[in-house]
Amino acid sequence: MKSKKAGRIVFEIFMVILSLLFLYPLFLTIINSLKSFSEVMTDVIALPKSLAFENYSYVWKYINYPRLFLNNTVITVLGLAGIVLISSIAAYKLARTKSKMSNLIYFIVIMPMLIPFQSIMLSVLQMAKNFHLSDSTWGLGILYWGFGAPLAMFIYHGFVKGIPNEIDESATIDGASGFRLFFRVIFPLLKSVTTTIIIIDVMWIWNDFLLPLLMVNGSPTTKTLTLAAYTFVGQYTSDWQYAMTAMVMAVLPSIIVFMFLQKHIVKGVVAGAVKG
Amino acid sequence: MFKLGRKWAERLEFGVFTLPVLISVIAVFYYPFMMTIRYSLTKWNGISKNPKFIGLDNFKQIFSGDANFMNASWFTIKYAILYIVIVNVLAILLALVLDMKMKSTTWLRAAFFIPYILSLVIVGFIWKFIFMQGFESLGASTGWGIFKLSWLGEPNLAFISVLLVSIWQSVGFYLVIYIAGLQSVPDDMKEAATVDGAGPVRRFFSITLPLLAPSITISVFMALTNSIKVFDVILSLTGGGPGGTTYSVAYDIYRDTFQNNLYGYGTAKALILFVAVLIITMIQLTIFKRREVEA
Repeated sequence: MKSKKAGRIVFEIFMVILSLLFLYPLFLTIINSLKSFSEVMTDVIALPKSLAFENYSYVWKYINYPRLFLNNTVITVLGLAGIVLISSIAAYKLARTKSKMSNLIYFIVIMPMLIPFQSIMLSVLQMAKNFHLSDSTWGLGILYWGFGAPLAMFIYHGFVKGIPNEIDESATIDGASGFRLFFRVIFPLLKSVTTTIIIIDVMWIWNDFLLPLLMVNGSPTTKTLTLAAYTFVGQYTSDWQYAMTAMVMAVLPSIIVFMFLQKHIVKGVVAGAVKG
Repeated sequence: MFKLGRKWAERLEFGVFTLPVLISVIAVFYYPFMMTIRYSLTKWNGISKNPKFIGLDNFKQIFSGDANFMNASWFTIKYAILYIVIVNVLAILLALVLDMKMKSTTWLRAAFFIPYILSLVIVGFIWKFIFMQGFESLGASTGWGIFKLSWLGEPNLAFISVLLVSIWQSVGFYLVIYIAGLQSVPDDMKEAATVDGAGPVRRFFSITLPLLAPSITISVFMALTNSIKVFDVILSLTGGGPGGTTYSVAYDIYRDTFQNNLYGYGTAKALILFVAVLIITMIQLTIFKRREVEA
């Protein structure tokens, strides 16, 4: 019995070491963002002798970090708000209406999950130009509504079916209908699944690359963090200390958010996966 | 009169609730998809105002032997198969471990999930740095030969690097799906099997794995769709090199369309990709769903 317990502890220690090895590349990135160029070149795995915070101030100014951060926030918030609103309200109505029309619309909305973005990227770009949505953070945010809707609709639809119809009926008797019924009664009941969708979509929109590359790469004032990091590295191919700093600055917001919401994030993905 | 009015009110409400999502999806998927079909039948450099209609010539040219497309397809197939198998096996094994009650469970789950919150382009750059600079220092301090290989400079190793980095980034996501699946396996079934004399291996294959089938369906579906579209990580990690050996289909389409300005030709390839994805995912879902029912 005792040896079994000891075995468990050894195994647990092994797992913790394994997880640290797993994260080692990120640790290397952080320590090298704090080194001078010559230090990076002589020894990557050594700890920095003194902390070179000037890498950070250089990249901060060069890529106009506050502006990029604002752009990312605008795109993500606008995109998310739209996805949650239009998908939840439609999923509710479609799940409650039993008709051929309702089934058809549901099918039309979730079907695009199978279309690879590369199949339509050129056309999306052309369409965005026609509708004057390109080179604008707002335009990009709005495009995400359609790109995010299929998955959100799929998850919401499955969830609404689990909410008993009696709730709608009693609310209708109390005099609520239409928007009031949805926003006062139904939407609050969807809270857990809304959290899941927000988590999945924040990670996706915040980090997305190809769509922003096509849509907002034209001007330095509309770029996103990932895009700027990508172009920056392209220009400073051998200045690894700056490149690593740009990497850290691009991923830092995600990591900070993750640390605060870690429990909810893992739970949210679990809920989404089980429902989906 | 009243009846008709109510029916119309209901229809109006149905429209108001569902139209926004319908318009959004049509605008970003269906309308562009129609344009894609049209572009695929043209020769167009993106500069001239009107694409020139050439019928099925693009498709003929692709199928009569486009070496880039063939190589990229072969790369993508190899990559997809290995990625799907390895990432799912690893995630199931890790999930079995992290489903046990340990003091560090919360930390371990978070640690394996962290790379998934990073952008794939950035993950590619980070690993490029590790392969090019970091391995040199690691090799010097450990003396291990594995760090002295040219991980991005040699075709076979570059392939393994792309695979490795993608798995590193996403294994945490699949891990979380499998943990969710494991938590829905009832404990009393496992206990009953133990009482009946089933060992851990037998228990895993006879009880846990069949009950995990829905999670496997979802994970394989996601791994499949994601691996067929692999692009970001290759762009920043190898840039398609060495010697064009790590171009994926998605990257090949991107290159033809936006770097070589072959708008019509690239779009025709994109359409072929769509049909392939459709057929493969349909087959996958049918097979896996059938197995689920049996289990």
